[in-house]
Amino acid sequence: MAAPAQTKSAFPSPYEIATPPGCEGWEEMYPYYAVFDESRREADEGRFWFWNSMHFPVPMPAFDVACIDAPYQAVGEWQNRFFAVPPAMGIDYRIINGYVYISGNPVTDPAKIGERVEYFQRRAGYYFEHWDELYGKWKQKMEALIAEITDLPVPDLPEYEPDEVMLEDERNTAVYEVLAAYNRTLRCGDLMWQHHFELLLLGYGAYVTFHEFCKSSLPDIPDQHVAQMVAGIDVLLFKPSAELRRLAKLAIDSDVDGVFVEGRSPEEIDAELAESEAGRGWLEALERVKDPWFNMATGDGLYHYYRSWYDDPRIPYASIAGHVRALKEGEQVERPTEELARERDRLAEEYGALLDEEARTTFTELLGLSRMVFPYVEEHKFYCDYWFLTRWWNKVREFGALLARHGFLDGAEDVFQLGRHEVATALDELLLTWATGGKPLGPVYWPPIAARRKELLEKLAGWTPPPAIGATPEAITDPMSIMLWGVTTQRVQEWASADDGGGRLTGTAASPGVVEGHARVVIDVEQIAAVRDGDVLVCPITSPAWAPIFSSVKAVVTDIGGVMSHAAIVCREYGLPAVVGTGRATTEIKTGQMVRVDGSSGVVTILDA
Amino acid sequence: MSYTRPLAELRGADAAEFGGKSANLGELLAAGIPVPPGFAVSAHAFRAFVEETGLEGTIAAALSHASTGDIEAVGAASKSIGEAMRFAPLPDPVRAELAGSYDELQRTLGEERPPVAVRSSALGEDSQEASHAGQQESFLWVCGVEQVCDAVRDCWVSLYTPHAITYRADLGAAGSEPAMGVTVQLMVDAQVSGVMFTCNPVSGDPSMVALNASWGLGIAVVGGEVTPDDYLVSKVTGEVVRETVSTKPIEYVPDAAGRGTVRVAVAPERRDEPCVDEAELAALVEVARRVERHFGSHQDIEWAIARGKPLPDALLVLQARPVTTLPDLQPKLSASALSLVLDTFGASTETETRS
Repeated sequence: MAAPAQTKSAFPSPYEIATPPGCEGWEEMYPYYAVFDESRREADEGRFWFWNSMHFPVPMPAFDVACIDAPYQAVGEWQNRFFAVPPAMGIDYRIINGYVYISGNPVTDPAKIGERVEYFQRRAGYYFEHWDELYGKWKQKMEALIAEITDLPVPDLPEYEPDEVMLEDERNTAVYEVLAAYNRTLRCGDLMWQHHFELLLLGYGAYVTFHEFCKSSLPDIPDQHVAQMVAGIDVLLFKPSAELRRLAKLAIDSDVDGVFVEGRSPEEIDAELAESEAGRGWLEALERVKDPWFNMATGDGLYHYYRSWYDDPRIPYASIAGHVRALKEGEQVERPTEELARERDRLAEEYGALLDEEARTTFTELLGLSRMVFPYVEEHKFYCDYWFLTRWWNKVREFGALLARHGFLDGAEDVFQLGRHEVATALDELLLTWATGGKPLGPVYWPPIAARRKELLEKLAGWTPPPAIGATPEAITDPMSIMLWGVTTQRVQEWASADDGGGRLTGTAASPGVVEGHARVVIDVEQIAAVRDGDVLVCPITSPAWAPIFSSVKAVVTDIGGVMSHAAIVCREYGLPAVVGTGRATTEIKTGQMVRVDGSSGVVTILDA
Repeated sequence: MSYTRPLAELRGADAAEFGGKSANLGELLAAGIPVPPGFAVSAHAFRAFVEETGLEGTIAAALSHASTGDIEAVGAASKSIGEAMRFAPLPDPVRAELAGSYDELQRTLGEERPPVAVRSSALGEDSQEASHAGQQESFLWVCGVEQVCDAVRDCWVSLYTPHAITYRADLGAAGSEPAMGVTVQLMVDAQVSGVMFTCNPVSGDPSMVALNASWGLGIAVVGGEVTPDDYLVSKVTGEVVRETVSTKPIEYVPDAAGRGTVRVAVAPERRDEPCVDEAELAALVEVARRVERHFGSHQDIEWAIARGKPLPDALLVLQARPVTTLPDLQPKLSASALSLVLDTFGASTETETRS
């Protein structure tokens, strides 16, 4: 990623990070390779590691480590072994006190870089040339995978096997079916992550190149305008919100809007709607919208905590209630797509006209390329992070329920306190003792482990991870760190000099405007309900899945993220001032504090520090 | 050959005789840009003045004693030429034309002794040269024929500042026969004024209007006597991309005595207030775009917003000149967009940075 500086690092050594009181032994939750091990101290202390709070803002439950291993296997596979991105291999990760730190592996040998250039040019060239066709196939692959994980049966363990075992050629016994189903569940997850990164690197790369070109030929162009020129008008990710707006209008038109009182639970609303014919009509309309649009998640999907709107309808219902209110106050809640399309083309034309002919040609070509790849950049999240992952976690819950039914866990949800290989071990013993009729040890072995780990996660959540550890890099050159995480040389320098206090944080100006308001620090989706109209949302990363609550917040501040993340784009779409990549907003700012967010300059000021 | 012409009659080609400032104002008026009315004095008028008052000999004699390395001698020459010019009467035909043009302005405005700004208008286009040659005089709030004649003569005197003499001497023969035009333009009692560029002169971004504004007449901004409010506005969307409001403790206003301007303190409650509002910014950016479109190049524009008048009439352009120095933007160009993308991944050999 970068050459370490020789002077003493501004960041703490990973080996000098203290364990929070009462959290001793947290390492046992994670694979042996996931920690800063004494045997590789010299190498690891000499590297620059940053907290990946964009994807992993809270301490990792043991099972969720699958969503570290699989994506980093996939990013390394595609970036390093398939596309052979010349200067960058894959990304290593380590866990400390439950938090995930990452560090890229650079390619430094010029001969090696030269060798990789040939691979990269040929393969990336092929992908860009066949993009639409490949993306079409990609969607088919993902839809098939989602159908498979949804339909995958997790058999129960019967007292006696059914006759079908002898009557049907394809029918296997329960022991085999459970093991096969668990194995297949894990493999579906692996495959999804492989699909996820197949197109993503190039998609981001094209967009970043256009962005860079705009910034070099139009140095003051707001990031928002670059995004607006590229952004799809009709992309998938806006559909769920659009459908909610339509449902709000339908509620008013069919005179059932009165049930959407703030503070009511979805169950209460459903119950009242079911009492009238108009209400039942509305519920039917809702059912039709659900597939596929309720496959949105309540947060970025890398934790099992984030459920789909199917499983946790609080966000869509709250959003419908908000739209009903807005509509009744005469607000236009429809997204003016034609207007947006016109504006997007007008921006492109006017900016193009400001450039000389040579630059205009490049501008137009890059814009075309960016527009071609951008649907993927935006839509892959819906397919992978939301639709697939929420169903995948639910499949894991089914195995949790199986274990809980046999006393191995206190509840299905506790399955996430076990690593995926531990779950396999528990299943092995369950199947062994179910088959033999012997007494399992699991019911006394696993529940205390799960209980201790839940306690650990709760305690670790109170610890504040430093934004970076290890050596201070002289420069960040890794294209992925810059593109995906917004971790630039400048950002690292800011982190290094960040301990000045003073109630002032700087980040990337992601969406223009200046507002003041009371901060609401939201670390995970459970806290979303606490968000009030006019709050300034302070979170690790603005997840587009939270978009519906954006209509009530005044501004958004995040710990990490660049202008590239879809999240930042949604913020701009909603016209909210946003400062992203502050590195420490959720730790410096306390809920209730008055803050000023300047989304034009990228400065957040705590006014009553 | 006439000594004066209404600004509205001038076009770019008249820069050779009336100077760039006057010619540009004529162009602006022709393009329908709001510019205060006025008239231009030709270089011919200056030459007639020098010839008919016999100043030619005085000037040549004074300069012959001043070798360029001798600061004292040059200063003495400058002083004696200036004095001689100030005591020399304007030739009657020149004076008569000036008076006639000023009267015409009075009649058009229906106003007695309207205040005017009298400024040098350097010949040709090169403002860089003009600034060296001292052709940057400006007399504000000048009222009545007598004062106008004096101010025109004072502009001419500025051709013989020590710096201008040295500069021309260094140029050799090319600088030997100085001359200039003068612009006489109705004064705007500015509530706010400033300068704007049709690009960001610092970054070179052509999609921005960079704007400085302060209370009162423009000299406070041009002379660097206040830190003005600073704006960067997108031409494409009209969005304010950057806004820095500064403390503006002083301003220039017309002297209550009716002659010249005075520097006064800004009332405390106005000092830290932004001096232009959203509507004014929008109107300014609109005018900047029109000026740029008319000239087909980036312009440096002086503007004012008149006191007590509503938009759009309140907004006036006082002068425009081409932006000559801009940072060289160096976007990466390449045979194809694809190779630029490959370059993002460190995998292209084709790209180059345009120099």
